[in-house]
Amino acid sequence: MKPRAIMGLAARLLVGAVLVYAGASKAAAPAEEFALVIGAYDVVPTSVALPMAGLLPWLELLVGWALILGVEVRAASALAGAMTAAFLAAIASVLVRGIPIPNCGCFGDAMHFTPGHAFVFDSVLAALCWTAFTAGPDPLSLDSWAQRGK
Amino acid sequence: MRDRFSRRLASYALVSVLAVASALAAGRARKPFSPAAPDFRQRGPADAKLQVVEFSDFQCPACRVAEPPLRQIFSVYGDKLHFIFKHYPLRMHEWAKDGAAAAECAGKQGKFWPYHDRLYDKQDEWTNPKADEFLTGYAKELGLDVPAWQACRQDPATAAAYQKDIKDGDDAWVSATPTFFINGRRFVGAKQLQELGTIFMDRELKK
Repeated sequence: MKPRAIMGLAARLLVGAVLVYAGASKAAAPAEEFALVIGAYDVVPTSVALPMAGLLPWLELLVGWALILGVEVRAASALAGAMTAAFLAAIASVLVRGIPIPNCGCFGDAMHFTPGHAFVFDSVLAALCWTAFTAGPDPLSLDSWAQRGK
Repeated sequence: MRDRFSRRLASYALVSVLAVASALAAGRARKPFSPAAPDFRQRGPADAKLQVVEFSDFQCPACRVAEPPLRQIFSVYGDKLHFIFKHYPLRMHEWAKDGAAAAECAGKQGKFWPYHDRLYDKQDEWTNPKADEFLTGYAKELGLDVPAWQACRQDPATAAAYQKDIKDGDDAWVSATPTFFINGRRFVGAKQLQELGTIFMDRELKK
C-alpha cells in the first residue's frame, strides 16, 4: 500500500472508532440525557433538541462503522467532517458566549472533556477526516472489495 | 455488475447490523448511574432492581420538599430499592457546605441518616450565621462524639468528599437540586419524583 493509502486507512479507523464510541455511549442512555446537553449549548431551538438527540448518536454509529469498514469512504469521511465542523462551531459558540457547561457531553456519561479539550480534540478529528477524504478507498476497504466484484 | 451490486448491499447491511449491535451492547454494558459513595450514605441492598441516586443540598428548600415523598418511597419499595445520597451544595447557599460536612462527619460515626433528617427537618433554624452553633447542637442531641466530629469537619478529606460528589454531579449535568437518577433516568424535583418517578419505578420493577 502507498503511504497515502496507509495514512487514509489510519485516519478512517481512528475517526470511525471515535464516532462509534461516541454514538454508542449516547445511544445507550435515554435520549433525554443528550437532549439536555444539546439544550445547554443553546444553538438549536428547544423543540429540535429531543429529535436531534435521538438521531445524532445513530448517525455517528452508521458513519463510524462505514469508516471502520471502508464503506463509501469519501461520503462517510465528508459526513464525519461535516459533523465535526458542526461540533466545533457549537463548542466555539459556548466558549465565545461564556456559557458555563460542565463538559462537552460528546461521549454521554462515558468520558468528560472540558469544552476547551473537546475543541482541540475535534480539530484533530477534522484534520483526520480530511486525510481520509483525500485518500479515498484503500485496498483494505469494503469499497475496494465491492469494486473487485464482477 | 450484479455481483458488485450485491457486494455493496452486503456492505451497507454490515454497517447497519454493526451499528445496531454496538448500540445494544453499549446499552447492556451501561450501569445505572450510581457513582461511588461511602457505605453510610447508601441504604438498601446494593443489588436491588431500583438504583436511586439523589444529588441534594441541605440548604435547598426544594430538597426539603422532596423529603416526604422520598420517605414514602422508602416505605413502599423497601428492599427493592438501593439509594445513594450525593452532596451537591449549590454555590448560592452559604451554609450548604457546612451542612454537607456536618452530615458527612455524623456519617463517620454511624449517624448519617438521623443527622440528614435533622438538617432537613430544621432547615429554617440552622441556615443562618449561627449555623455552627445549631449544627453542633444537633451533633450533641444525636449523641455524637463532638470533639471527633469537630475534628472531622476541619479535616480536608471531608471537603474533598463533597467536592468529589460535586464533580460527579457536574459530570452528570446536574444543574438543580434535588436531582434523582432512577436506574439512570433523570428526575428533577419533588414533583417529577412523585408523579413520574414512581410510575417509572413500577415499570422498572415489572421488567
